[in-house]
Amino acid sequence: MKHNYDVAIIGGGIIGMGTGCYLARKGIKIALIEREYLGSGSTGRCIGGIRQQFSTSTSIRLMRESIELFSKMEEEFGFPVEFHQGGYLLLAHSEKMVDIFKANIEIQKKEKVNVSLLTPGEANKVVPHLNLENLHAAAYCPDDGQAFPFAVLKGYKQQIERHKGALFLHNKVEKIEKTNPFVIMLQDGTRIESEKVLLCAGPWTAEIAQTIGLDLPLSPERHEAIITERMPKFLEPMVVDYREDGCYFNQFISGQICGCYTPIPNVPGIRDDASFEFVPNVAWRMTRLVPAIKNASILRHWAGCYTMTPDGNPLVGESPVDGLYVASGMSGHGFMFGPAIAKHLAHYIIQGEWDTDFSEFSINRSFENRESLK
Amino acid sequence: MSDNILICRCEDITEEMVKEALDSGITTLEEIKRFLRAGMGPCQGRTCGPILRSMLARKLNTSLQNIEEWRKRPPLKPVTVSAFIQVEGEES
Repeated sequence: MKHNYDVAIIGGGIIGMGTGCYLARKGIKIALIEREYLGSGSTGRCIGGIRQQFSTSTSIRLMRESIELFSKMEEEFGFPVEFHQGGYLLLAHSEKMVDIFKANIEIQKKEKVNVSLLTPGEANKVVPHLNLENLHAAAYCPDDGQAFPFAVLKGYKQQIERHKGALFLHNKVEKIEKTNPFVIMLQDGTRIESEKVLLCAGPWTAEIAQTIGLDLPLSPERHEAIITERMPKFLEPMVVDYREDGCYFNQFISGQICGCYTPIPNVPGIRDDASFEFVPNVAWRMTRLVPAIKNASILRHWAGCYTMTPDGNPLVGESPVDGLYVASGMSGHGFMFGPAIAKHLAHYIIQGEWDTDFSEFSINRSFENRESLK
Repeated sequence: MSDNILICRCEDITEEMVKEALDSGITTLEEIKRFLRAGMGPCQGRTCGPILRSMLARKLNTSLQNIEEWRKRPPLKPVTVSAFIQVEGEES
């Protein structure tokens, strides 16, 4: 079967669904292709945090916009996406980290983010159960928050369907052919012809790009998480411990505590297997900070991928192949970047020019300016 | 049968909510679990799993063995955080 579209989107995560929604609303004829079900890649495995505390102005600006967009979703979609602004509390256990926080807060304040450096005593007021041992200071933004990824995807899906967008689910892309228009061959033999292609397949982006001869500096790595039973709300913000043996955790508005840490060294590859060492480690790291967590019961342990770039900033824009756009390498921040990147990327694909500065995320950049708040 | 029947007792998911999800084009147990959170509570789907499986089979007009089970996640039943810390302590 042959199908013709204006834009074919490869990847049914937050970036693809969001961009698809904004394009379809403008009357663009889209096809969205997803290898499994919506959110089966990184979006559905992330823990749903949304923060503005970054170190580059592009990231900070986009996150501010994302917060705004998340806050309007319930009204837009007609059901809650469990968006809640409980804040992010970043902990500095060394003077070096305090200096990094101070430098970032200066940039964040220029972008009008409501952020401040707290003393350990002030941090204790935000998280009353917090262990203050060795704590030098904390960066706190009460406007940061969380949302439920699958509710957001459901909302975008309904919008895409309402505007006659086509969804090809449980169907893998075999290859993209560099013809005019592009031809995308799917696993089940479906042939999709499209003027433009947006490749936003998270960890699978690089291997699909290879089929059209495009090399992208993307490296997927495994990250793990645990979730506990529901408990009465006692933790407002996402707590982030930046020590080498640190961790980050929050409590959903539905009561579960979700905890993760960034493994050192990293675990490269597209993999979603759960390791034996993770649960005891995360249990120890979380209870070191908030001892009361020791009584919570862990229900599940799972893994998913970050798609990293050399500098930890996303890769967004038109590729050297005319008409082929890329949005990947979210480096662990795809869900929170999603709505804002989707909105600007849809504009860029339609108009051919950015309506805000995306040069820091350009595919051709030098990758020298690293994001310091991983 | 009333649509208010509870299918997942841990997460308060009713038959009506499952039917709505099935009508929206969901075709796998994995999606039911993730979009609705059915089977995500303390019993980890021991109660609702078989019911959801048969509802999905009926919806897709296929037999039960064609419905792939959802992915099992460790630790399979609730285990306290402190139990894991004891394991860690014995090792170090």
